[in-house]
Amino acid sequence: MNDRFVVYEPNQRVKMGFIKGWREMAGNVAGSRELVWQLFKRDFFSNYKQSFLGIIWIFIAPVVAILSWVFLSAAGILKPGDVGVPYPVYVLLGGTIWGLFIGVFSTTARSLTDSGGMILQIKFPHEALVVKQMAQTVAAFVINLVLISAVLLVFSVAPSWKAVFFPLAVAPLLLVGAGLGMIVSVISAVAHDFEKAVTACLGFLMYLTPVIYSAKAEGGLIKAVVYLNPLAYLVGGARDLILYGGMESPYGYMASAGMAAAFFLFSWRLFFLSEHKVAERL
Amino acid sequence: MGDTAIKVEGVSKKFCRRLRQAMYYGSVDVGRGMMGLQADTGSLRPGEFWAVRDVSFELKKGETMGLIGPNGSGKSTLLRLLNGIYQPDAGRIEITGRVGALIAVGAGFHPLMTGRENIYLNCTILGMTRGEIDKRFDDIVGFADIGEFLDSPVKTYSSGMYVRLAFSCAIHVDPDILLIDEVLAVGDLAFSVKCVEKIKEFKGQGKTIILVTHDPGPVKRVCGRALLLEKGKVSLDGPSGAVVDSYMRSQTKPDGPGESQARRWGTGDIKITSATFLDEDGRPANGAVQGSPVTAVLEFEAKKKVDGPVFGMVFRDHKGEVMSIVNTRQSGPPLSVEGDGSIRLSVDAFNLTPGMYAVTVAVYDSDRLYPFDELRDICSFEVKDAGLDNHGLVYLPSRWELS
Repeated sequence: MNDRFVVYEPNQRVKMGFIKGWREMAGNVAGSRELVWQLFKRDFFSNYKQSFLGIIWIFIAPVVAILSWVFLSAAGILKPGDVGVPYPVYVLLGGTIWGLFIGVFSTTARSLTDSGGMILQIKFPHEALVVKQMAQTVAAFVINLVLISAVLLVFSVAPSWKAVFFPLAVAPLLLVGAGLGMIVSVISAVAHDFEKAVTACLGFLMYLTPVIYSAKAEGGLIKAVVYLNPLAYLVGGARDLILYGGMESPYGYMASAGMAAAFFLFSWRLFFLSEHKVAERL
Repeated sequence: MGDTAIKVEGVSKKFCRRLRQAMYYGSVDVGRGMMGLQADTGSLRPGEFWAVRDVSFELKKGETMGLIGPNGSGKSTLLRLLNGIYQPDAGRIEITGRVGALIAVGAGFHPLMTGRENIYLNCTILGMTRGEIDKRFDDIVGFADIGEFLDSPVKTYSSGMYVRLAFSCAIHVDPDILLIDEVLAVGDLAFSVKCVEKIKEFKGQGKTIILVTHDPGPVKRVCGRALLLEKGKVSLDGPSGAVVDSYMRSQTKPDGPGESQARRWGTGDIKITSATFLDEDGRPANGAVQGSPVTAVLEFEAKKKVDGPVFGMVFRDHKGEVMSIVNTRQSGPPLSVEGDGSIRLSVDAFNLTPGMYAVTVAVYDSDRLYPFDELRDICSFEVKDAGLDNHGLVYLPSRWELS
């Protein structure tokens, strides 16, 4: 008989050592594929079960947001600068890409607190909850690509063939969002302030990123901020790929993408080292 | 490893009483963890207390142990430590074998999903692979007994069906070590009987079981060994009979039987509508002289035909200790009742020592696993001194012959 043998000790994960820790982290994710799928099915599809419009709700929120930006720009209140394509197309793309980042952040940030009951009752790798939350946002994003294609068609904007790399181009944003979310998920299980603070900051951060306006917009302050903001390269790069078939600053994008990957791994490690404390704070 | 299933060495777990302090300590601990520093776990900070303190025991494969103790004694915390949900603050736990926990069933159930979908979901959360679920699916459905509701959203289930389905998933994980927390109290009573049977089956298969409950009855029946926890510490570890008795003694309340409030529970299939003591002339009485005959009449109504019910009466002294239990099983063949009726109890000589006794009347199922109706401490009964110069708990009618 090959019995499983496990040991529980204080500070187990801190004492585990670096290599062994990473091996366990990877194992936790790899071993919970079926669990992620079952949880994903539960939460993604059942979100839309008791509703007449069902999955159409995925489109409604971004469309309303985009209409408001288009309205502000048409009314002359917002001066997005010269974007080279019809403004609704521009803002829809930017908004959807930014929405992926915010969506991944806010869902992963709630991954532990939302499943508190389960965590207290059953032993399972909690990474599964994070992956499930990410998958949900990604699924909504993929569905939103349909909306984007439709709008591109309506405004007869032909995307570059390089748009096939678009999923790859948004991946770094996904990593930043998930990384931030994982850290917040642990801390906010202890004290709720942190999530509220980060969410408030991210609302402001959107205006520091060329989502609704062009990076070439006038104003020295904006230029400086955008220049220093890694998210600006990630959002802008992914959008440029579709609209213009290239990136304005590929090196800036690559540096930001590298930072995003490093940040994600770092956050995941922090999550792994500290999340066991969450069960007793729920 | 060998034949040891669970080895617990000096395990402690601390918690914090106040929310604000808990937030502060939690932030510090999480911060330290993130920086790769070991949290200071061995000592208490202000406001903290030990929920589990220096607990050690070893459980061999196939052993069944009851974990008993009053509320707040650390039973559930210890169970979560064993299940790996909490990490110990001190000590070490070694577990050999697959652990299944019936801690609180139905985790992850989604009300809008069908029974079928929820089985797959819940069993996956419990650690089963898809192949295992496929293989045991029919057993799970059969045990839960949900019939044609399998493909309806569980939202439409009665609470009993919901619990049955959840419990059925949990019990089909097929673990080597089973941790059970108070689940015998879930669902309707008929189902809890089914669960007891299933647990006995596990026991027969040589699985290791830890049963946590504050109801010591099942511990005595199912477990060979018991651990008594008090204030987080092991205060007694030994054969279940002795540990349970000691626990019962420490739990009885000192208030007299006269003031005790009546408590009633049961399935209601049979209801006891009145209980009356009669004196020798057939008049209602609330006491008798020691050594004299006593008669009591229980009136009942049975909603449906019930085979083999056991009527009984319990006498407890002022400390709550059971002095005597008389029931219909002790005297005569199994009964069968339906509709209204009454049953008469005759005690030839009431030999308890003079004093006040609290009376509990009950009617149980044939295996005495659950009550149809139980009325706890419904009245008091006084035994009057007959000048027998009797000390001790009971008077034994006796003769001495000198030769």
